Amino acid sequence: MQDGNVFYRRQQCYSIPEKLPELDDYFVAGCKYGGPIALMRDHTKLLALGQGRPPAITRSQIQIYSPAGETLLILSWDQGRIIKFGWTFDERLVVLNEEGVYRLYNLQGDYQQHSLGTEASEVGVIDAKIHDNGLVALTSGFTLLEVKGWEGGRPMSLANPNLSEPPSSWAIIPPDLNISRHIEVLLSVDSTIHTVDNLESVDQRLSRGPFTHVSPSPNGKALALLTFNGTLWVVSADFQRSMAEFETSNVVGAIGQVRQVEWCGNDAILVTWDSLVALVGPFGDVLQYFYRGVPFAVTEPDGVRILSQETCDLIQKVPVSTLSIFKPGSTTPSAILYDAWESFSNKSPKADENIRSIRPELGKAVDECIEAAGHEWDVEWQRKLLNAAKFGRGFLDFHNPTDFVNMGQTLKVLNAVRYYEVGIPLTYSQYNYASPSRLITRLTSRNLHLLALRISNYLSLRPDPVLKHWACAKILRSRPTTTGTGKDAELTADDEICRMIVEKFEQLGGSDVSYAEIAKKAWEVGRAGLATKLLDHESKGSDQVPLLLEMKEDKLALVKAVDSGDSDLVYHVLLHLYKRLPLGTFFRLLEDGGQVLAPASKLLEVYAREQNREMLRDFYYSDDRRVESAVLSLEEASQTVDQSSKISAVKKAQTFFSEDKDRAFEAKVTDESVRLLTFQQQLEAEADHKVKFFGLSINETIRTCILNGLSKRADKIKSDFKVSDKRFWYLKLYALTESRDFEGLDAFSKSKRSPIGYEPFVRHLVEKGFPKEAVAYVAKCDSPKRADLYVECGEWRLAGKECKERNDKSKLE
Amino acid sequence: MPEAETVDSSKEPRLDVNLLKDIAKKDLVDALNSASRVNGAKTLVLDASLAGPLGLVTEVSLLKHHGVDKMFWLEAGPLTSSTTSIVYLCRPRIKNVKIIADHIKRHAKESRKHNYTLLLVPRISTLVSRILEEEGVLGDVSISSYNLQFIPIAEDVVSLEHENALRELWVDGDQTVIFDSVQALLTLQQLYGTFPQIVGKGDYAQASKVVNYDIRSPKVQVASSQPSSSPKIDSLIVLDRRVDMVTPLLTQLTYEGLVDELIGIKNSHVELPLSLLTPPTAGPNNAASSSTSPPPASGPPQLVSVKKEAKKKHHLTTTTDPLYAELRDLNFALLGKKLNKVARRLDENYKTDLQTKTVAQLRDFVGKLGGLQTEHQALRLHTGLTELIVPLTRTDVFNKSLEIQQNLLASYEVTAQLNAIEDLIAQGADMQVVIRLLCLASLTAGGVKAKNLENLKREILQAYGYEYLPLLLSLAAPPLGILLPNPVPPSSAAALSGFKYPYTTLRKSLRLLIDDSAEALDEVENDIAFVYSGYAPISIRLVQCIAQKGGVLSNPAEKERTGDTANGGDTKKGSFGKVQAHPIVGWKGFEDVVAAIPGQTVEITQKTAASVAPPVGASRDMATTTVVFFLGGCTYTEIAALRWVERQNKGRKFLIATTGIISGGSIIEGIAGVNSKSSG
Repeated sequence: MQDGNVFYRRQQCYSIPEKLPELDDYFVAGCKYGGPIALMRDHTKLLALGQGRPPAITRSQIQIYSPAGETLLILSWDQGRIIKFGWTFDERLVVLNEEGVYRLYNLQGDYQQHSLGTEASEVGVIDAKIHDNGLVALTSGFTLLEVKGWEGGRPMSLANPNLSEPPSSWAIIPPDLNISRHIEVLLSVDSTIHTVDNLESVDQRLSRGPFTHVSPSPNGKALALLTFNGTLWVVSADFQRSMAEFETSNVVGAIGQVRQVEWCGNDAILVTWDSLVALVGPFGDVLQYFYRGVPFAVTEPDGVRILSQETCDLIQKVPVSTLSIFKPGSTTPSAILYDAWESFSNKSPKADENIRSIRPELGKAVDECIEAAGHEWDVEWQRKLLNAAKFGRGFLDFHNPTDFVNMGQTLKVLNAVRYYEVGIPLTYSQYNYASPSRLITRLTSRNLHLLALRISNYLSLRPDPVLKHWACAKILRSRPTTTGTGKDAELTADDEICRMIVEKFEQLGGSDVSYAEIAKKAWEVGRAGLATKLLDHESKGSDQVPLLLEMKEDKLALVKAVDSGDSDLVYHVLLHLYKRLPLGTFFRLLEDGGQVLAPASKLLEVYAREQNREMLRDFYYSDDRRVESAVLSLEEASQTVDQSSKISAVKKAQTFFSEDKDRAFEAKVTDESVRLLTFQQQLEAEADHKVKFFGLSINETIRTCILNGLSKRADKIKSDFKVSDKRFWYLKLYALTESRDFEGLDAFSKSKRSPIGYEPFVRHLVEKGFPKEAVAYVAKCDSPKRADLYVECGEWRLAGKECKERNDKSKLE
Repeated sequence: MPEAETVDSSKEPRLDVNLLKDIAKKDLVDALNSASRVNGAKTLVLDASLAGPLGLVTEVSLLKHHGVDKMFWLEAGPLTSSTTSIVYLCRPRIKNVKIIADHIKRHAKESRKHNYTLLLVPRISTLVSRILEEEGVLGDVSISSYNLQFIPIAEDVVSLEHENALRELWVDGDQTVIFDSVQALLTLQQLYGTFPQIVGKGDYAQASKVVNYDIRSPKVQVASSQPSSSPKIDSLIVLDRRVDMVTPLLTQLTYEGLVDELIGIKNSHVELPLSLLTPPTAGPNNAASSSTSPPPASGPPQLVSVKKEAKKKHHLTTTTDPLYAELRDLNFALLGKKLNKVARRLDENYKTDLQTKTVAQLRDFVGKLGGLQTEHQALRLHTGLTELIVPLTRTDVFNKSLEIQQNLLASYEVTAQLNAIEDLIAQGADMQVVIRLLCLASLTAGGVKAKNLENLKREILQAYGYEYLPLLLSLAAPPLGILLPNPVPPSSAAALSGFKYPYTTLRKSLRLLIDDSAEALDEVENDIAFVYSGYAPISIRLVQCIAQKGGVLSNPAEKERTGDTANGGDTKKGSFGKVQAHPIVGWKGFEDVVAAIPGQTVEITQKTAASVAPPVGASRDMATTTVVFFLGGCTYTEIAALRWVERQNKGRKFLIATTGIISGGSIIEGIAGVNSKSSG
């Protein structure tokens, strides 16, 4: 192409004469990475009867073909009208209908169904764009809904573009290609384009519209826009730079409408017409390819794949390494190396000369040959290039053979999957991009287990995913064979399969395969017996439990959950059972469990204490757990503010305690507590509700009484509740000091001999900052301590005197 | 401890626990970023109980950097937010979830539209989604998790910072924390290699083993695929807190322990009067002060409600405060001496440096000045802190309770001690002090005489309020059983039969009490008993049974000293007296002792990639690390004691892992607290 610097090549992957129907009559969706294509008849197109193959007319049907033209699957659709279908990154077909319901089909025809929510189903969906990891739907109210991921997440509405009519065309830039990491929608409205993301809708103020095609480049940095009059305009994705312009009407042989505008790499655009494909380079130069019938183009990361009625082609920019070897007149080291190898195989002495001339760069040349081999489709050429590399290696002292070996392995794998019966035309760079394990998944989803397993072993990957898929498939397939004589036959069949699966796993070292998942599959297809058998082989509790629950093996599920030690799992089971079982049965299950289920009932108590007290009360009651019931009432008492209900709650606790003969003490103190509360009510009434007594402890009550001059009352409490003398004296000391009633204190100290001595008087008064008042009590203390106490009061003179009296010379110092 | 030792031991590299911090940080950022389904600013609503732990992991600036616009506490009441996305970060507690549901419903009523993300720590819980469903808002919230596991709180201590683990395990019977711990231990295993041996004691330690075994197989593969599978960790020791309830009930007597007891350390932060933290002089000191005054790490600054008296949270850490490393494990009695010494050293440093003459010398001095001033600051802080504590240790109640503790430990005149406890109640001592003593009496004497116990219980209820009746019941109930009558009433005897704690036997066989009559503190300092001035924590003795068998029976340091010439002094001991640590061989030699303690005994060998533990010779020059995991929390004194054990041997480091830091007070308040707190 331009200046002879850039080369594009078309490579035929498969020749598929008469395998695909006339694509013109169908809606087509192609899957990236050499994936299959899906076709659905376009009902607006006329259909000629009696033309070869009988097409399905009556029902909506989606046919899925491999790129090699093999029919993989035929889906029939019984839901609302299909709006759009497309492929996910993991080769599942997304089918969206006008009610906002979408299904994800795998290649075996199993599906999961999700919905875009009530809003979408009421308004209706008119169009959608599907990308690898999500979709954007356009409702007939012209709002945009985005779904992220394929787990059935809640759709998010994007900013409202305020349209009054459907856009003439639109496109999305997937989140991973945007700087903001959020999806961007491009709507072509009138003469301009609106870019919409989740926050805002921006009018880009263009004047060249409306555009019939909007197509973002694979890296999301550029846009190809096709105007109504056929001008192809390439701009940067932020509309700041115009990159190229091209008149498509000038292309020779272009008849009718442009069908598709797709990118081929990031710098060339492929425009398709009814039987023509034109590749437009960045500087307006064109390559044309003619096809019979309507071609369909699928953008690949490294090129574009074209399906037509006869062939499946890949158009791509010629990779650098290939170019440097095979470019006409190339004198790069790799080209010379290849030449040398050819000379060598022709037994020409030129070989040696060639090698000598590139000696310093031989390593690089070898690497390049290896890489070029990877980009070849033809086994012959692959071999030649690898041979050339091997030849070059012989002249090198040190060369790391890893690349060479890896390439050999990779090519072997690639050639295997490219085989037409498998039909995955994967290129080397696509393979590297999408990792070998993805390839394995793709093979298993086509039920090609043996190939997948061989490849896994060959590449030393873990065989688990393959085995798991195999086991599931096995269970599905084995169903029809159980047509023996009734129950027995089924049981033996179960045993048989279980044994087979376990044996196979052990034999192939798939020890980490989760049996639970396989068991789930068995359960789903209605083979409970097999599921239980398989579950026994599962070692992880957390995986066993959900299935057991589903199978209504309640007790077993609970036991396994408790065994796992994962309290969340226990909650999962508990809450599930609580919802499903009658309360009595539920409690009995826990009670019968005894020691084994004790942790579970403890957890239930924790939950119920905060969320569902009523249930907890029933639970304790049904199990005759009086102490717990009492504690529960006490807790409630402490939470209520209302006085009478508090008293009644405490009374209730008292009753519970009194029913248990070992709880005499508790019954007695709760009784006391009730008495105290009633007495406090009385006190409050006496004090005209100006002083708060209710709910205080006995100590506090006495203190408050004294502070408020109700010392008679305090005395009554003391005698009623048998408060010990010591405690009472301390309390009164503290309270009188606090109210600075020193006369009262004096009177109190003389009321009788203090049961706590007088030292505490002195210490407390000093501590509270009344040393003067304290002095009076020192004299009442034991004589040996007096001197020190005087010192504490700051009365050095008295202290000295005291010492003198006691003839204590040393202290005097 | 003399410097010679610290230098020596620092030569042997530790496991880099900061790795855990980095992981936690990165996970937080990832969680926050993935939480924003809509780009742009977001409001973060934070569970207050997470603020402390998070403050140890990250700074506010990091959050701001990742789009956090405003932050609020998770509290009941309306929430107004200017941003569309609101991110809740909380533990999966029912209370929290209800508040969130309330917020969402309010917003819906006011027809304000927000995107809600709920980040649960450490993992998603069915319970939460169930409650959200019951409240009818499940559809509005997207739930994901932020897996916050072990947080390094010192260079050799990692903690889950899970408050109240003890209550949840032994009162509520909620074993979630075990599961979380096991997950966190598995992470350790992935980072530092498989634990070749697991030795443990206690019923829940047993449970943790089961889970460990369960998930083990795939993980081992991961660990072995790493090049660093050379076993750095030689074993994991799991101790269930119930194995030793005696120790946490006692008053801690190390510096750090006392600060925790009397002022309270929460998530390594202590609240101090502002005057202690700000330097008196401005100007040139500023540079130094900025390094000592706490970085605003303890959660978002605008959130810290200013208390009536200006108090400030101070992060007690050795990274900015090297002096603290020297002080924290000292017995409080020795603290004054040490502070004095440091002060004198500083003074001399200042003086010598001031005599500098030449310009070059002057430049050196100025270069050192920053360091000196930092140290000066630190010294001021710790002196101030000590001054705060000293009066608290002089109170009658404090000394009485210490006396009762020591007597109870020696089982000396138990009845008299009970009377003393009664006196304390009469004097109006703190509830937790009294209950701690009472539990201690029950544990050490194998139960309290029924009549005395009832009398004391009545006193307690009368003095502190009848609402503590549930607390007393929980303390006596079977899973915990630390407050028992003697003899046990026949009806509950069966349930409690396994709970009798053989304290008196242990006192002999584990040499728990060190005679403090002889050479007083100096002697005590030569055994882990220094942390309680004469009592060696049972838990650490048990660790010694595994990792330093000689230390249990007799004191290695002491032996060394008798061999040495009279006053060879501590320095010599540090430099060449160390014994090579022996390899871990489980409970060997102490099977009888361990069997006497209630609870299961655990001893398993895990298969590592390198098949067997390396020969002893290979590990001679490389220090191995023993992970000690306290299920249910540990005290600062236990950490101090373990550090002491570490210093006695060479070739073995300890990494202390715990569910949280506890003290006797926090245990009692935890068990009592939630009962009454749930009312609020």
